[in-house]
Amino acid sequence: MTALLAITKVQLRIIRNDPWFLVIMFGMPLVVMPLFGKTMGLSLQASGFADATGAEQVVPGQVVLFGFFVGGSVGFTVFREHGWKTWDRLRASAAPSVALLGGFGLPWVVILLLWQSALFAAGSLVLGLSLNGGSPFALLLMLLGYALCVVSLILLMTATFRTVNQLSAFQNVGAMVFGGLGGALVPLDQLPGWAQTIAPITPAYWAMQGHTDVLLRQGGVVDVLPEFGVLAGVAIVISALAVGRFRVDETKEFFA
Amino acid sequence: MLRATGLEKSYGDVKALQGADLMVEAGQIVSLLGRNGAGKTTMLSIIAGLLAPDSGSVSIGSTDVLADPAAAAKLLGIAPQDTGIYPILTVRQNLEFFGELAGLGASRRPRAVEVADQLGLGSLLDRKASQLSGGEGRRLHTACALVHRPRLLMLDEPTVGADVATRLQLIEAVRELADDGAAVVYTTHYLPEVEALDADIVVIDEGQVKARGTQEQLIAEHKMRGVRFTIDGTLPAHLRESLGAVEVGDSAYRALGDLDMRSLLGRFGSDAEILRSVEELRPDLETVFLAVTGHRLDSEGSDVVAVSASEASES
Ligand SMILES: Nc1ncnc2c1ncn2[C@@H]1O[C@H](COP(=O)(O)OP(=O)(O)OP(=O)(O)O)[C@@H](O)[C@H]1O
Ligand SMILES: [Mg+2]
Repeated sequence: MTALLAITKVQLRIIRNDPWFLVIMFGMPLVVMPLFGKTMGLSLQASGFADATGAEQVVPGQVVLFGFFVGGSVGFTVFREHGWKTWDRLRASAAPSVALLGGFGLPWVVILLLWQSALFAAGSLVLGLSLNGGSPFALLLMLLGYALCVVSLILLMTATFRTVNQLSAFQNVGAMVFGGLGGALVPLDQLPGWAQTIAPITPAYWAMQGHTDVLLRQGGVVDVLPEFGVLAGVAIVISALAVGRFRVDETKEFFA
Repeated sequence: MLRATGLEKSYGDVKALQGADLMVEAGQIVSLLGRNGAGKTTMLSIIAGLLAPDSGSVSIGSTDVLADPAAAAKLLGIAPQDTGIYPILTVRQNLEFFGELAGLGASRRPRAVEVADQLGLGSLLDRKASQLSGGEGRRLHTACALVHRPRLLMLDEPTVGADVATRLQLIEAVRELADDGAAVVYTTHYLPEVEALDADIVVIDEGQVKARGTQEQLIAEHKMRGVRFTIDGTLPAHLRESLGAVEVGDSAYRALGDLDMRSLLGRFGSDAEILRSVEELRPDLETVFLAVTGHRLDSEGSDVVAVSASEASES
Protein backbone atom coordinates (compact mmCIF):
# COMPACT_ATOMS: atom_id res chain seq x y z
CA MET A 1 0.00 0.00 0.00
CA THR A 2 2.87 2.36 0.82
CA ALA A 3 4.42 1.61 -2.55
CA LEU A 4 1.13 2.05 -4.40
CA LEU A 5 0.56 5.48 -2.89
CA ALA A 6 4.16 6.58 -3.29
CA ILE A 7 4.20 5.59 -6.97
CA THR A 8 0.80 7.19 -7.60
CA LYS A 9 1.97 10.44 -6.07
CA VAL A 10 5.24 10.53 -7.94
CA GLN A 11 3.55 9.77 -11.26
CA LEU A 12 1.11 12.63 -10.71
CA ARG A 13 4.04 14.84 -9.84
CA ILE A 14 5.84 13.90 -13.04
CA ILE A 15 2.74 14.89 -14.99
CA ARG A 16 2.59 18.18 -13.10
CA ASN A 17 6.23 18.83 -13.99
CA ASP A 18 5.42 18.29 -17.68
CA PRO A 19 1.73 19.00 -18.31
CA TRP A 20 2.10 19.65 -22.05
CA PHE A 21 1.00 16.17 -23.02
CA LEU A 22 -2.37 16.73 -21.39
CA VAL A 23 -2.70 20.24 -22.78
CA ILE A 24 -2.22 18.89 -26.31
CA MET A 25 -4.57 16.01 -25.68
CA PHE A 26 -7.17 18.50 -24.48
CA GLY A 27 -6.76 20.95 -27.35
CA MET A 28 -6.78 18.50 -30.27
CA PRO A 29 -10.26 17.02 -29.75
CA LEU A 30 -11.58 20.56 -29.34
CA VAL A 31 -10.39 21.26 -32.87
CA VAL A 32 -11.90 18.07 -34.25
CA MET A 33 -15.32 18.38 -32.58
CA PRO A 34 -16.67 21.36 -34.54
CA LEU A 35 -15.50 19.80 -37.83
CA PHE A 36 -18.01 16.97 -37.56
CA GLY A 37 -20.72 18.66 -35.51
CA LYS A 38 -23.04 19.44 -38.41
CA THR A 39 -22.71 16.08 -40.15
CA MET A 40 -23.34 14.24 -36.91
CA GLY A 41 -26.38 16.42 -36.26
CA LEU A 42 -27.88 15.34 -39.59
CA SER A 43 -27.07 11.73 -39.00
CA LEU A 44 -28.59 11.71 -35.50
CA GLN A 45 -31.72 13.37 -36.86
CA ALA A 46 -31.89 10.65 -39.51
CA SER A 47 -31.71 8.11 -36.70
CA GLY A 48 -34.82 9.61 -35.14
CA PHE A 49 -33.43 12.14 -32.63
CA ALA A 50 -35.19 15.12 -34.14
CA ASP A 51 -33.73 17.75 -31.78
CA ALA A 52 -30.14 16.51 -31.87
CA THR A 53 -27.47 19.10 -32.65
CA GLY A 54 -24.65 16.67 -33.35
CA ALA A 55 -22.78 17.59 -30.17
CA GLU A 56 -24.41 14.55 -28.51
CA GLN A 57 -22.39 12.32 -30.83
CA VAL A 58 -19.25 14.25 -31.52
CA VAL A 59 -18.36 15.22 -27.94
CA PRO A 60 -18.63 11.76 -26.37
CA GLY A 61 -17.24 10.27 -29.61
CA GLN A 62 -14.02 12.28 -29.46
CA VAL A 63 -13.74 11.76 -25.71
CA VAL A 64 -13.98 8.00 -26.20
CA LEU A 65 -11.59 8.02 -29.15
CA PHE A 66 -8.91 10.23 -27.62
CA GLY A 67 -9.48 8.67 -24.22
CA PHE A 68 -7.79 5.59 -25.56
CA PHE A 69 -4.69 7.64 -26.42
CA VAL A 70 -4.67 9.42 -23.08
CA GLY A 71 -5.21 6.20 -21.14
CA GLY A 72 -2.55 4.54 -23.30
CA SER A 73 0.01 6.70 -21.51
CA VAL A 74 -0.19 4.42 -18.52
CA GLY A 75 1.69 1.79 -20.53
CA PHE A 76 4.20 4.32 -21.69
CA THR A 77 4.93 5.34 -18.09
CA VAL A 78 5.68 1.74 -17.13
CA PHE A 79 8.04 1.28 -20.08
CA ARG A 80 9.64 4.61 -19.33
CA GLU A 81 10.76 3.33 -15.92
CA HIS A 82 12.84 0.77 -17.78
CA GLY A 83 14.36 3.55 -19.88
CA TRP A 84 15.15 5.57 -16.77
CA LYS A 85 16.53 2.42 -15.08
CA THR A 86 14.32 3.13 -12.09
CA TRP A 87 12.31 -0.06 -12.51
CA ASP A 88 14.78 -2.16 -10.53
CA ARG A 89 14.71 0.42 -7.76
CA LEU A 90 10.94 0.11 -7.56
CA ARG A 91 11.33 -3.66 -7.50
CA ALA A 92 13.93 -3.47 -4.76
CA SER A 93 11.15 -2.18 -2.51
CA ALA A 94 9.64 -5.67 -2.89
CA ALA A 95 6.26 -4.17 -3.70
CA PRO A 96 3.94 -6.86 -5.11
CA SER A 97 2.77 -6.65 -8.75
CA VAL A 98 -0.62 -5.36 -7.62
CA ALA A 99 0.95 -2.39 -5.90
CA LEU A 100 3.26 -1.64 -8.82
CA LEU A 101 0.54 -1.85 -11.47
CA GLY A 102 -1.93 -0.08 -9.20
CA GLY A 103 0.57 2.70 -8.57
CA PHE A 104 0.88 3.33 -12.29
CA GLY A 105 -2.78 2.72 -13.11
CA LEU A 106 -4.48 4.78 -10.43
CA PRO A 107 -3.13 8.18 -11.50
CA TRP A 108 -4.34 7.57 -15.04
CA VAL A 109 -7.82 6.60 -13.91
CA VAL A 110 -7.95 9.91 -12.06
CA ILE A 111 -6.50 11.85 -15.00
CA LEU A 112 -8.86 10.22 -17.50
CA LEU A 113 -11.81 11.07 -15.31
CA LEU A 114 -10.77 14.73 -15.04
CA TRP A 115 -9.77 14.96 -18.69
CA GLN A 116 -13.07 13.52 -19.91
CA SER A 117 -15.06 15.83 -17.61
CA ALA A 118 -13.09 18.83 -18.82
CA LEU A 119 -13.76 17.93 -22.45
CA PHE A 120 -17.48 17.56 -21.79
CA ALA A 121 -17.45 20.96 -20.10
CA ALA A 122 -15.55 22.48 -23.02
CA GLY A 123 -17.93 20.75 -25.44
CA SER A 124 -20.88 22.40 -23.79
CA LEU A 125 -19.20 25.80 -24.15
CA VAL A 126 -17.99 25.36 -27.71
CA LEU A 127 -20.78 23.25 -29.21
CA GLY A 128 -23.63 24.00 -26.87
CA LEU A 129 -23.89 20.44 -25.65
CA SER A 130 -26.46 20.13 -22.90
CA LEU A 131 -27.61 17.25 -20.76
CA ASN A 132 -31.22 17.73 -21.91
CA GLY A 133 -32.55 16.26 -18.70
CA GLY A 134 -29.98 13.50 -18.48
CA SER A 135 -28.32 12.94 -15.10
CA PRO A 136 -24.82 14.38 -14.53
CA PHE A 137 -24.15 11.53 -12.10
CA ALA A 138 -25.00 9.01 -14.80
CA LEU A 139 -22.54 10.79 -17.07
CA LEU A 140 -19.82 10.68 -14.40
CA LEU A 141 -20.47 6.99 -13.89
CA MET A 142 -19.89 6.38 -17.59
CA LEU A 143 -16.66 8.41 -17.54
CA LEU A 144 -15.43 6.38 -14.57
CA GLY A 145 -16.37 3.06 -16.17
CA TYR A 146 -14.57 3.94 -19.38
CA ALA A 147 -11.47 5.20 -17.52
CA LEU A 148 -11.25 1.94 -15.54
CA CYS A 149 -11.73 -0.15 -18.64
CA VAL A 150 -9.16 1.64 -20.80
CA VAL A 151 -6.49 1.75 -18.09
CA SER A 152 -6.87 -1.93 -17.22
CA LEU A 153 -6.80 -2.93 -20.90
CA ILE A 154 -3.60 -0.97 -21.48
CA LEU A 155 -2.07 -2.49 -18.33
CA LEU A 156 -2.82 -5.96 -19.67
CA MET A 157 -1.09 -5.02 -22.91
CA THR A 158 1.82 -3.59 -20.94
CA ALA A 159 2.13 -6.90 -19.12
CA THR A 160 2.11 -8.69 -22.46
CA PHE A 161 4.32 -6.61 -24.73
CA ARG A 162 8.08 -6.49 -24.45
CA THR A 163 8.82 -3.30 -26.36
CA VAL A 164 7.30 0.14 -26.25
CA ASN A 165 6.84 0.01 -30.04
CA GLN A 166 4.44 -2.90 -29.73
CA LEU A 167 2.50 -1.01 -27.13
CA SER A 168 2.32 2.19 -29.13
CA ALA A 169 1.14 0.31 -32.24
CA PHE A 170 -1.64 -1.28 -30.22
CA GLN A 171 -2.58 2.02 -28.67
CA ASN A 172 -2.70 4.00 -31.94
CA VAL A 173 -4.40 1.45 -34.13
CA GLY A 174 -6.54 0.15 -31.26
CA ALA A 175 -7.97 3.61 -30.64
CA MET A 176 -9.18 3.86 -34.24
CA VAL A 177 -10.40 0.27 -34.56
CA PHE A 178 -12.10 0.03 -31.18
CA GLY A 179 -13.39 3.59 -31.39
CA GLY A 180 -14.71 3.14 -34.94
CA LEU A 181 -16.35 -0.19 -34.21
CA GLY A 182 -17.85 1.08 -30.98
CA GLY A 183 -19.60 4.00 -32.66
CA ALA A 184 -17.27 6.80 -31.54
CA LEU A 185 -16.54 8.03 -35.08
CA VAL A 186 -20.07 7.78 -36.50
CA PRO A 187 -23.27 6.68 -34.77
CA LEU A 188 -23.57 2.95 -34.39
CA ASP A 189 -26.67 2.52 -36.55
CA GLN A 190 -24.78 3.97 -39.52
CA LEU A 191 -22.19 1.18 -39.38
CA PRO A 192 -22.44 -1.90 -41.62
CA GLY A 193 -24.40 -4.79 -40.15
CA TRP A 194 -21.36 -6.97 -39.39
CA ALA A 195 -19.73 -4.07 -37.52
CA GLN A 196 -22.87 -3.51 -35.44
CA THR A 197 -22.85 -7.21 -34.58
CA ILE A 198 -19.30 -7.26 -33.21
CA ALA A 199 -19.38 -3.72 -31.77
CA PRO A 200 -20.17 -4.90 -28.20
CA ILE A 201 -16.71 -6.48 -27.87
CA THR A 202 -15.26 -2.96 -27.64
CA PRO A 203 -15.30 -0.81 -24.50
CA ALA A 204 -16.12 2.15 -26.78
CA TYR A 205 -19.47 0.57 -27.65
CA TRP A 206 -20.59 0.42 -24.01
CA ALA A 207 -19.31 3.90 -23.31
CA MET A 208 -21.12 5.35 -26.34
CA GLN A 209 -24.33 3.50 -25.44
CA GLY A 210 -24.21 5.00 -21.96
CA HIS A 211 -23.53 8.48 -23.29
CA THR A 212 -26.43 8.18 -25.74
CA ASP A 213 -28.71 7.12 -22.87
CA VAL A 214 -27.74 10.19 -20.88
CA LEU A 215 -27.56 12.81 -23.62
CA LEU A 216 -30.38 11.76 -25.93
CA ARG A 217 -32.74 9.71 -23.80
CA GLN A 218 -32.74 11.70 -20.53
CA GLY A 219 -31.01 8.74 -18.89
CA GLY A 220 -30.48 8.60 -15.12
CA VAL A 221 -28.05 6.55 -13.03
CA VAL A 222 -30.25 3.47 -13.13
CA ASP A 223 -30.47 3.61 -16.91
CA VAL A 224 -26.70 3.46 -17.37
CA LEU A 225 -26.04 0.83 -14.72
CA PRO A 226 -25.94 -2.00 -17.30
CA GLU A 227 -23.32 -0.18 -19.40
CA PHE A 228 -21.35 0.82 -16.32
CA GLY A 229 -21.60 -2.74 -15.05
CA VAL A 230 -20.12 -4.14 -18.24
CA LEU A 231 -17.26 -1.62 -18.29
CA ALA A 232 -16.44 -2.05 -14.60
CA GLY A 233 -16.79 -5.82 -14.74
CA VAL A 234 -14.51 -6.07 -17.77
CA ALA A 235 -12.05 -3.75 -16.04
CA ILE A 236 -11.93 -6.03 -12.99
CA VAL A 237 -11.40 -9.17 -15.04
CA ILE A 238 -8.76 -7.55 -17.24
CA SER A 239 -6.92 -6.05 -14.25
CA ALA A 240 -6.78 -9.46 -12.64
CA LEU A 241 -5.39 -10.90 -15.87
CA ALA A 242 -2.84 -8.09 -16.06
CA VAL A 243 -1.65 -8.71 -12.50
CA GLY A 244 -1.46 -12.44 -13.21
CA ARG A 245 0.47 -12.01 -16.44
CA PHE A 246 2.79 -9.30 -15.26
CA ARG A 247 6.40 -10.42 -14.80
CA VAL A 248 8.16 -7.78 -12.75
CA ASP A 249 11.58 -9.18 -13.66
CA GLU A 250 11.05 -9.08 -17.41
CA THR A 251 13.37 -6.67 -19.17
CA LYS A 252 11.30 -4.26 -21.21
CA GLU A 253 12.65 -2.19 -24.05
CA PHE A 254 12.00 1.49 -24.04
CA PHE A 255 13.33 3.54 -26.98
CA ALA A 256 16.83 2.27 -27.56
CA MET B 1 24.10 -8.87 9.10
CA LEU B 2 24.40 -10.37 5.61
CA ARG B 3 24.89 -14.08 5.05
CA ALA B 4 24.80 -15.24 1.45
CA THR B 5 25.95 -18.79 0.94
CA GLY B 6 26.37 -21.16 -1.96
CA LEU B 7 25.00 -18.76 -4.56
CA GLU B 8 24.73 -20.23 -8.04
CA LYS B 9 23.29 -18.54 -11.09
CA SER B 10 23.50 -19.34 -14.78
CA TYR B 11 22.24 -17.30 -17.71
CA GLY B 12 21.80 -19.97 -20.37
CA ASP B 13 25.22 -21.60 -20.46
CA VAL B 14 27.01 -18.63 -18.88
CA LYS B 15 27.80 -19.57 -15.30
CA ALA B 16 27.72 -16.16 -13.64
CA LEU B 17 28.00 -17.47 -10.06
CA GLN B 18 29.35 -20.84 -9.05
CA GLY B 19 28.88 -21.31 -5.35
CA ALA B 20 29.83 -17.86 -4.10
CA ASP B 21 29.53 -16.80 -0.44
CA LEU B 22 29.42 -13.32 1.04
CA MET B 23 29.27 -12.44 4.73
CA VAL B 24 29.18 -8.90 6.04
CA GLU B 25 28.87 -7.91 9.69
CA ALA B 26 27.09 -4.83 10.98
CA GLY B 27 29.45 -1.87 10.77
CA GLN B 28 31.71 -3.60 8.28
CA ILE B 29 32.52 -2.34 4.80
CA VAL B 30 33.30 -5.06 2.30
CA SER B 31 34.75 -4.24 -1.06
CA LEU B 32 33.82 -6.69 -3.76
CA LEU B 33 36.64 -6.78 -6.28
CA GLY B 34 36.41 -8.45 -9.63
CA ARG B 35 36.95 -7.90 -13.31
CA ASN B 36 34.17 -7.18 -15.79
CA GLY B 37 31.90 -10.18 -15.89
CA ALA B 38 33.20 -11.68 -12.62
CA GLY B 39 29.68 -11.87 -11.20
CA LYS B 40 29.53 -8.86 -8.88
CA THR B 41 26.29 -7.38 -10.16
CA THR B 42 24.69 -10.79 -10.34
CA MET B 43 25.56 -11.34 -6.69
CA LEU B 44 24.18 -8.00 -5.55
CA SER B 45 21.00 -8.51 -7.58
CA ILE B 46 20.37 -11.83 -5.91
CA ILE B 47 20.95 -10.39 -2.45
CA ALA B 48 18.57 -7.52 -3.24
CA GLY B 49 15.89 -9.98 -4.29
CA LEU B 50 15.93 -8.71 -7.87
CA LEU B 51 17.16 -11.97 -9.30
CA ALA B 52 16.33 -15.50 -8.22
CA PRO B 53 19.42 -17.68 -7.67
CA ASP B 54 19.50 -21.22 -9.07
CA SER B 55 20.55 -22.28 -5.59
CA GLY B 56 21.92 -20.85 -2.39
CA SER B 57 20.51 -18.86 0.49
CA VAL B 58 20.54 -15.23 1.55
CA SER B 59 19.62 -13.73 4.87
CA ILE B 60 19.82 -10.19 6.18
CA GLY B 61 19.86 -10.17 9.98
CA SER B 62 17.35 -12.87 10.80
CA THR B 63 15.29 -12.31 7.64
CA ASP B 64 15.45 -14.81 4.81
CA VAL B 65 15.49 -12.74 1.61
CA LEU B 66 14.05 -15.48 -0.57
CA ALA B 67 11.25 -16.35 1.85
CA ASP B 68 10.28 -12.86 2.96
CA PRO B 69 11.44 -10.34 0.36
CA ALA B 70 9.20 -7.57 1.68
CA ALA B 71 10.74 -7.64 5.15
CA ALA B 72 14.22 -7.90 3.65
CA ALA B 73 13.57 -4.90 1.39
CA LYS B 74 13.03 -2.68 4.43
CA LEU B 75 16.52 -3.50 5.68
CA LEU B 76 18.24 -3.01 2.40
CA GLY B 77 19.35 -0.17 0.17
CA ILE B 78 20.84 -0.76 -3.24
CA ALA B 79 22.29 1.64 -5.79
CA PRO B 80 22.46 -0.53 -8.90
CA GLN B 81 25.21 -0.33 -11.51
CA ASP B 82 23.04 1.65 -13.96
CA THR B 83 22.15 5.14 -12.77
CA GLY B 84 18.43 5.12 -12.05
CA ILE B 85 16.88 8.46 -11.12
CA TYR B 86 13.88 10.43 -12.37
CA PRO B 87 15.32 13.07 -14.71
CA ILE B 88 12.10 15.08 -14.68
CA LEU B 89 12.00 15.37 -10.88
CA THR B 90 14.21 17.57 -8.74
CA VAL B 91 16.94 16.20 -6.50
CA ARG B 92 14.67 16.70 -3.50
CA GLN B 93 11.71 15.01 -5.15
CA ASN B 94 13.84 12.03 -6.13
CA LEU B 95 15.16 11.61 -2.59
CA GLU B 96 11.77 12.02 -0.97
CA PHE B 97 10.17 9.56 -3.35
CA PHE B 98 12.70 6.81 -2.68
CA GLY B 99 12.37 7.55 1.03
CA GLU B 100 8.61 7.19 0.86
CA LEU B 101 8.88 4.06 -1.24
CA ALA B 102 11.04 2.55 1.49
CA GLY B 103 8.40 3.39 4.08
CA LEU B 104 9.55 6.70 5.55
CA GLY B 105 6.82 9.03 6.74
CA ALA B 106 7.22 12.76 7.21
CA SER B 107 10.85 12.19 8.23
CA ARG B 108 11.70 11.73 4.56
CA ARG B 109 11.78 15.51 4.14
CA PRO B 110 14.54 16.38 6.63
CA ARG B 111 16.27 13.15 5.71
CA ALA B 112 16.38 14.11 2.02
CA VAL B 113 18.12 17.36 2.94
CA GLU B 114 20.53 15.57 5.23
CA VAL B 115 21.57 12.98 2.64
CA ALA B 116 21.88 15.62 -0.06
CA ASP B 117 24.20 17.62 2.19
CA GLN B 118 26.28 14.55 2.91
CA LEU B 119 26.88 13.95 -0.77
CA GLY B 120 27.44 17.56 -1.71
CA LEU B 121 24.06 18.03 -3.35
CA GLY B 122 22.77 20.47 -0.74
CA SER B 123 22.79 23.46 -3.06
CA LEU B 124 21.18 21.49 -5.88
CA LEU B 125 18.10 20.28 -4.02
CA ASP B 126 15.65 22.06 -6.27
CA ARG B 127 17.39 21.42 -9.53
CA LYS B 128 15.94 18.89 -11.95
CA ALA B 129 17.97 15.71 -12.10
CA SER B 130 18.21 16.06 -15.87
CA GLN B 131 20.23 19.22 -15.32
CA LEU B 132 22.85 17.61 -13.10
CA SER B 133 26.34 16.79 -14.33
CA GLY B 134 27.24 13.13 -14.74
CA GLY B 135 29.01 12.96 -11.39
CA GLU B 136 26.22 14.83 -9.60
CA GLY B 137 23.67 12.45 -11.09
CA ARG B 138 25.72 9.52 -9.90
CA ARG B 139 25.81 10.98 -6.38
CA LEU B 140 22.05 11.44 -6.40
CA HIS B 141 21.71 7.84 -7.55
CA THR B 142 23.77 6.74 -4.57
CA ALA B 143 21.98 9.09 -2.18
CA CYS B 144 18.63 7.54 -3.13
CA ALA B 145 19.85 4.25 -1.67
CA LEU B 146 20.84 5.90 1.62
CA VAL B 147 17.71 7.89 2.40
CA HIS B 148 16.02 5.30 4.56
CA ARG B 149 19.18 4.43 6.54
CA PRO B 150 19.33 0.81 5.39
CA ARG B 151 20.96 -1.77 7.64
CA LEU B 152 22.58 -3.31 4.57
CA LEU B 153 23.78 -0.93 1.89
CA MET B 154 24.94 -2.21 -1.48
CA LEU B 155 26.66 0.12 -3.93
CA ASP B 156 27.51 -1.22 -7.38
CA GLU B 157 30.40 0.87 -8.69
CA PRO B 158 29.19 4.06 -7.03
CA THR B 159 32.14 6.17 -8.15
CA VAL B 160 31.96 5.57 -11.89
CA GLY B 161 32.48 8.95 -13.48
CA ALA B 162 33.18 10.66 -10.17
CA ASP B 163 36.05 13.04 -9.57
CA VAL B 164 38.38 12.92 -6.58
CA ALA B 165 36.29 15.24 -4.40
CA THR B 166 33.16 13.22 -5.13
CA ARG B 167 34.93 9.98 -4.28
CA LEU B 168 35.99 11.41 -0.95
CA GLN B 169 32.50 12.65 -0.12
CA LEU B 170 31.09 9.30 -1.01
CA ILE B 171 33.65 7.42 1.03
CA GLU B 172 32.92 9.67 3.99
CA ALA B 173 29.16 9.14 3.70
CA VAL B 174 29.65 5.39 3.47
CA ARG B 175 31.95 5.34 6.49
CA GLU B 176 29.46 7.33 8.48
CA LEU B 177 26.75 4.84 7.69
CA ALA B 178 29.02 1.97 8.66
CA ASP B 179 29.98 3.69 11.92
CA ASP B 180 26.28 3.89 12.54
CA GLY B 181 26.12 0.11 12.33
CA ALA B 182 25.17 -0.51 8.73
CA ALA B 183 26.77 -3.30 6.74
CA VAL B 184 28.11 -2.08 3.42
CA VAL B 185 28.99 -3.90 0.21
CA TYR B 186 30.85 -1.81 -2.29
CA THR B 187 32.02 -2.87 -5.72
CA THR B 188 34.68 -0.99 -7.60
CA HIS B 189 37.51 -1.38 -10.06
CA TYR B 190 39.45 1.38 -8.43
CA LEU B 191 41.96 0.12 -5.89
CA PRO B 192 42.99 3.39 -4.21
CA GLU B 193 39.37 3.76 -3.24
CA VAL B 194 39.41 0.43 -1.48
CA GLU B 195 42.46 1.55 0.45
CA ALA B 196 40.79 4.83 1.39
CA LEU B 197 37.68 3.02 2.58
CA ASP B 198 39.87 0.72 4.62
CA ALA B 199 37.43 -1.94 3.58
CA ASP B 200 37.72 -5.66 3.94
CA ILE B 201 38.13 -7.32 0.63
CA VAL B 202 36.43 -10.12 -1.20
CA VAL B 203 37.98 -11.05 -4.51
CA ILE B 204 35.57 -12.64 -6.94
CA ASP B 205 36.51 -14.18 -10.26
CA GLU B 206 34.57 -16.35 -12.65
CA GLY B 207 31.67 -16.52 -10.25
CA GLN B 208 33.70 -17.74 -7.31
CA VAL B 209 35.17 -16.07 -4.27
CA LYS B 210 38.92 -16.46 -4.66
CA ALA B 211 40.11 -14.67 -1.54
CA ARG B 212 38.86 -12.66 1.38
CA GLY B 213 40.38 -10.76 4.27
CA THR B 214 41.69 -7.39 5.33
CA GLN B 215 44.13 -5.67 3.03
CA GLU B 216 47.05 -6.43 5.35
CA GLN B 217 46.07 -10.08 5.58
CA LEU B 218 45.78 -10.46 1.86
CA ILE B 219 49.03 -8.70 1.10
CA ALA B 220 50.82 -10.79 3.71
CA GLU B 221 49.22 -13.97 2.44
CA HIS B 222 49.97 -13.39 -1.22
CA LYS B 223 53.42 -11.87 -0.94
CA MET B 224 53.95 -11.32 -4.53
CA ARG B 225 56.33 -9.32 -6.51
CA GLY B 226 56.14 -8.76 -10.18
CA VAL B 227 57.57 -7.04 -13.16
CA ARG B 228 55.34 -5.61 -15.80
CA PHE B 229 56.51 -5.10 -19.34
CA THR B 230 54.35 -2.99 -21.54
CA ILE B 231 55.03 -3.76 -25.17
CA ASP B 232 54.02 -2.67 -28.61
CA GLY B 233 51.86 -5.21 -30.39
CA THR B 234 51.72 -8.81 -29.35
CA LEU B 235 54.42 -10.91 -27.84
CA PRO B 236 56.45 -12.79 -30.49
CA ALA B 237 56.20 -16.55 -30.12
CA HIS B 238 59.85 -17.14 -29.34
CA LEU B 239 59.75 -14.56 -26.57
CA ARG B 240 56.64 -16.11 -25.21
CA GLU B 241 58.56 -19.33 -24.97
CA SER B 242 61.74 -17.93 -23.45
CA LEU B 243 59.79 -15.92 -20.87
CA GLY B 244 57.51 -18.83 -20.14
CA ALA B 245 54.54 -16.55 -20.64
CA VAL B 246 51.01 -17.81 -21.07
CA GLU B 247 48.25 -15.79 -22.63
CA VAL B 248 45.63 -14.82 -20.06
CA GLY B 249 43.47 -12.42 -21.98
CA ASP B 250 43.44 -10.17 -24.97
CA SER B 251 47.18 -9.97 -25.51
CA ALA B 252 47.84 -10.04 -21.78
CA TYR B 253 50.35 -12.56 -20.58
CA ARG B 254 51.54 -13.91 -17.34
CA ALA B 255 54.56 -15.89 -16.36
CA LEU B 256 55.57 -17.30 -13.04
CA GLY B 257 59.13 -17.88 -12.02
CA ASP B 258 62.32 -15.93 -12.59
CA LEU B 259 62.09 -12.39 -11.33
CA ASP B 260 65.61 -11.21 -11.92
CA MET B 261 65.16 -8.02 -13.84
CA ARG B 262 68.47 -8.21 -15.67
CA SER B 263 67.98 -11.74 -16.82
CA LEU B 264 64.42 -11.01 -17.89
CA LEU B 265 65.48 -7.98 -19.91
CA GLY B 266 68.28 -9.96 -21.42
CA ARG B 267 65.83 -12.39 -22.90
CA PHE B 268 64.27 -9.68 -25.02
CA GLY B 269 67.61 -9.38 -26.82
CA SER B 270 67.17 -7.77 -30.20
CA ASP B 271 63.43 -7.52 -29.59
CA ALA B 272 64.01 -4.97 -26.83
CA GLU B 273 62.69 -2.24 -29.11
CA ILE B 274 59.15 -3.45 -28.59
CA LEU B 275 59.43 -2.55 -24.90
CA ARG B 276 57.63 0.63 -23.95
CA SER B 277 58.06 0.46 -20.21
CA VAL B 278 59.24 -1.82 -17.47
CA GLU B 279 57.73 -1.51 -14.04
CA GLU B 280 58.45 -3.31 -10.83
CA LEU B 281 55.29 -4.21 -8.93
CA ARG B 282 55.50 -4.09 -5.17
CA PRO B 283 53.17 -6.18 -3.06
CA ASP B 284 49.90 -4.29 -2.94
CA LEU B 285 46.28 -4.94 -3.70
CA GLU B 286 46.99 -5.06 -7.38
CA THR B 287 49.56 -7.81 -7.08
CA VAL B 288 47.27 -9.63 -4.68
CA PHE B 289 44.57 -9.53 -7.31
CA LEU B 290 47.02 -10.74 -9.91
CA ALA B 291 48.18 -13.56 -7.69
CA VAL B 292 44.69 -14.69 -6.82
CA THR B 293 43.03 -14.48 -10.19
CA GLY B 294 45.87 -14.45 -12.70
CA HIS B 295 44.48 -11.25 -14.17
CA ARG B 296 44.90 -7.57 -13.73
CA LEU B 297 41.88 -5.81 -12.28
CA ASP B 298 41.77 -3.00 -14.79
CA SER B 299 42.05 -4.96 -17.97
CA GLU B 300 42.55 -1.96 -20.23
CA GLY B 301 46.16 -2.92 -20.97
CA SER B 302 45.94 -5.07 -24.04
CA ASP B 303 49.67 -5.01 -24.53
CA VAL B 304 50.82 -5.91 -21.10
CA VAL B 305 53.09 -8.68 -20.12
CA ALA B 306 53.04 -9.27 -16.44
CA VAL B 307 55.84 -11.49 -15.37
CA SER B 308 55.51 -12.31 -11.79
CA ALA B 309 56.23 -14.78 -9.13
CA SER B 310 54.97 -15.61 -5.76
CA GLU B 311 57.69 -15.50 -3.12
CA ALA B 312 55.96 -16.99 -0.18
CA SER B 313 53.26 -19.26 -1.40
CA GLU B 314 52.46 -20.75 -4.74
CA SER B 315 48.79 -20.04 -5.03
N1 LIG C 1 20.95 -10.87 -18.33
C1 LIG C 1 22.01 -11.59 -18.66
N2 LIG C 1 21.93 -12.52 -19.64
C2 LIG C 1 22.99 -13.27 -19.98
N3 LIG C 1 24.19 -13.17 -19.39
C3 LIG C 1 24.35 -12.28 -18.41
C4 LIG C 1 23.26 -11.43 -18.00
N4 LIG C 1 23.71 -10.64 -17.00
C5 LIG C 1 25.00 -10.96 -16.81
N5 LIG C 1 25.39 -11.95 -17.65
C6 LIG C 1 26.72 -12.59 -17.69
O1 LIG C 1 27.01 -13.05 -16.39
C7 LIG C 1 28.36 -12.82 -16.04
C8 LIG C 1 28.44 -12.00 -14.77
O2 LIG C 1 27.92 -10.71 -15.02
P1 LIG C 1 27.87 -9.58 -13.91
O3 LIG C 1 27.04 -8.48 -14.47
O4 LIG C 1 27.44 -10.17 -12.63
O5 LIG C 1 29.38 -9.15 -13.83
P2 LIG C 1 30.08 -7.96 -13.03
O6 LIG C 1 31.08 -8.57 -12.13
O7 LIG C 1 29.06 -7.10 -12.40
O8 LIG C 1 30.82 -7.18 -14.20
P3 LIG C 1 31.07 -5.61 -14.43
O9 LIG C 1 32.30 -5.23 -13.70
O10 LIG C 1 31.28 -5.53 -15.92
O11 LIG C 1 29.86 -4.88 -13.99
C9 LIG C 1 28.99 -12.16 -17.27
O12 LIG C 1 29.63 -13.17 -18.01
C10 LIG C 1 27.82 -11.61 -18.03
O13 LIG C 1 28.09 -11.61 -19.41
MG1 LIG D 1 28.52 -5.20 -12.64
